[in-house]
Amino acid sequence: MASLSTTTSTAAGESLRSFAGLRRETRILRGVAAADAPGSQLRRRQLGVVRASRTSPRLNGRKLRVAVVGGGPAGGSAAEALAKGGVETMLIERKLDNCKPCGGAIPLCMVEEFGLPLDLIDRRVTKMKMISPSNVAVDIGRTLGPDEYIGMVRREVLDAYLRERAAEAGASVINGLFLRLEQPEGPGGPYRIHYNEFSPAGGGAGERRTAEVDAVVGADGANSRVAKSIGAGEYEYAIAFQERVRIPETKMEYYKERAEMYVGDDVSPDFYGWVFPKCDHVAVGTGTVTHKADIKKFQAATRLRAKDKIEGGTIIRVEAHPIPEHPRPRRVLGRVALVGDAAGYVTKCSGEGIYFAAKSGRMCAEAIVEGSENGSRMIDEGDLRKYLEKFDKMYWPTYKVLDVLQKLFYRSNAAREAFVEMCADEYVQKMTFDSYLYKKVVPGNPLDDIKLAVNTIGSLVRATALRREMEKLTL
Amino acid sequence: MSMALFSSSPPPPTTLSALSLKHRLSFRTQLALFPRKAPSLLLPRSTDNGAGVVSSTATVAEEEEEKDKLEEKKEETPPPAAAEKDVESKQQSLLGSNGAAARAEEVLPPKFKDTRWVGGTWDLKRFQKDGKTDWDAVVDAEVRRRKWLEENPEASSNDEPVIFDTSIIPWWSWVKRFHLPEAELLNGRAAMIGFFMAYFVDSLTGVGLVDQMGNFFCKTLLFIAVAGVLLIRKNEDIDTLKKLLDETTFYDRQWQATWQEDKSSSDSKAK
Repeated sequence: MASLSTTTSTAAGESLRSFAGLRRETRILRGVAAADAPGSQLRRRQLGVVRASRTSPRLNGRKLRVAVVGGGPAGGSAAEALAKGGVETMLIERKLDNCKPCGGAIPLCMVEEFGLPLDLIDRRVTKMKMISPSNVAVDIGRTLGPDEYIGMVRREVLDAYLRERAAEAGASVINGLFLRLEQPEGPGGPYRIHYNEFSPAGGGAGERRTAEVDAVVGADGANSRVAKSIGAGEYEYAIAFQERVRIPETKMEYYKERAEMYVGDDVSPDFYGWVFPKCDHVAVGTGTVTHKADIKKFQAATRLRAKDKIEGGTIIRVEAHPIPEHPRPRRVLGRVALVGDAAGYVTKCSGEGIYFAAKSGRMCAEAIVEGSENGSRMIDEGDLRKYLEKFDKMYWPTYKVLDVLQKLFYRSNAAREAFVEMCADEYVQKMTFDSYLYKKVVPGNPLDDIKLAVNTIGSLVRATALRREMEKLTL
Repeated sequence: MSMALFSSSPPPPTTLSALSLKHRLSFRTQLALFPRKAPSLLLPRSTDNGAGVVSSTATVAEEEEEKDKLEEKKEETPPPAAAEKDVESKQQSLLGSNGAAARAEEVLPPKFKDTRWVGGTWDLKRFQKDGKTDWDAVVDAEVRRRKWLEENPEASSNDEPVIFDTSIIPWWSWVKRFHLPEAELLNGRAAMIGFFMAYFVDSLTGVGLVDQMGNFFCKTLLFIAVAGVLLIRKNEDIDTLKKLLDETTFYDRQWQATWQEDKSSSDSKAK
């Protein structure tokens, strides 16, 4: 496998030396005049239009090889789409039974788009309770149809399923830990990746291995090593801290189809505390970006707020994980692309990442498949930027709206009170669920929107007025 | 019996009594007359963070039944403590208790109580004044409740969910109480600035007030003055506005970052 590629790549590399000065050098022009290249590249930059590299060299006698690093939702769906598209795929995952600390909520559109079997979903949440700092409790979910729900999954189950599908499609799943990658020597050259492969029997540090691939998809999560290899830059991240609590059956009944969200300065200064039902226990957790050192205090406050409902429970697991707050400054370099948490595709306000991870993995893979014409041609950075463009265009409104909501409503206790008050409104509930379940920011009826805007301003003004009175008061 | 207790509050003088003197004394008497609800279980807080329980507040709002309460506390805490110790195993920690909380001597934070707070909302019938609802009193009560809960967060309860919505207070009450005083203040400022600016310009240029209004430059200055009075009410507001402007575009810039370098001409990042 490795030997065949080296001969072809050196041949390609030599013919490209004349274009070594250009940043995107993998376009080899055979029949087309060389003078075209700089002009078209300039035009491309100006217009922001990225064209498929039809003029990339055909790979002789082999398929395009892609390594997907990380076997979570992003890696699994990327590997599946690549393998289906005829690309030779290897999926490297360091812990095949990883029980990822995660809220585990997936929207309806994910079940449909990824054809997930319904038995993957442990619970269907159809009611969410929002609880304000002064314990005003609002139930949202009245507007949901009988087939609409938020699916709660166990990550180990979901991840394993997606990896299995990738394996069935033809990807080779490797239990290994990615160490680093080497940049290719010349344009069109292979990336050499170094990883530790663990034996199926387990134990030990694993064997050092290397592999040569044409492209790398970094799906290795918030602490991505692939991101470090390409100098993708840092991002701000939140710490999400969660305790899994097994509560008595009678109390579990309340959480059968209900999730809770607690907001308040005591629970988190810039995020929320939650109680999410899992298969046979609940996950009680909270998160923060700005006050990470106080996370235990916030967790204690969350437990206090939910005290009546989780009393008598036993903590069976404590877990924490970083959650990116915004995309990394660089998401693509050469023929390496980041997807999922590694790229930083987690929304603000709700902290949702599973769907976007899977979708970005799939989009990146589809872009590679298209750019390589089902694995028969070499790809270049332009193809990967196509995926970025598509993803940004499709989901930017969703991210922006959630960012605005976070800035508006997570500012202070007064804003949070207004937020919970607004959630009681049916129109708000409908818009919220529609945009969450189907990931489309649907502009509603303009008259209703104006009414909503007026109500929002009213709520905020009232809450702020009460807040000012509160400051004058000393109890 | 109970009226006397408020004037003879035990040291340290609780701020609640001070508050009661500040606000109308009328509803204080109502509080004393109406029977208190059955005392709720004062549950121990989970004290992972070691946050000190405010010892003085234990006496607040429980003055009337202080004696009864203490006896009940001692009865109630040992049974749950014993039950919890049974279930607790070496590896797992039990919610709602730790070694310290099980001890009955620990002072427990009181829950929010108010006789007019019924069924998770304010009972408007108890805020009657001259036959009409006293909205100001409702606002005061809600402010007190929120302040209390901010300082002593409570468990949210399913048996008594809080369903109060501030929109039941009519808009004119909000306007009268909050908007009008501030509007008066801002209008006063605007009038003072306007008068002196008109005088100043007149003394410098000789142009009278009516002619000033016809001038485009003056109209611009007027617009700036009005906007300034509205937006900048404290010195800190200037910084706040600048930060707000930055904030609105920050997220966009983070997303655009990967495209910025696409357009940059540096080849230092060449493969």
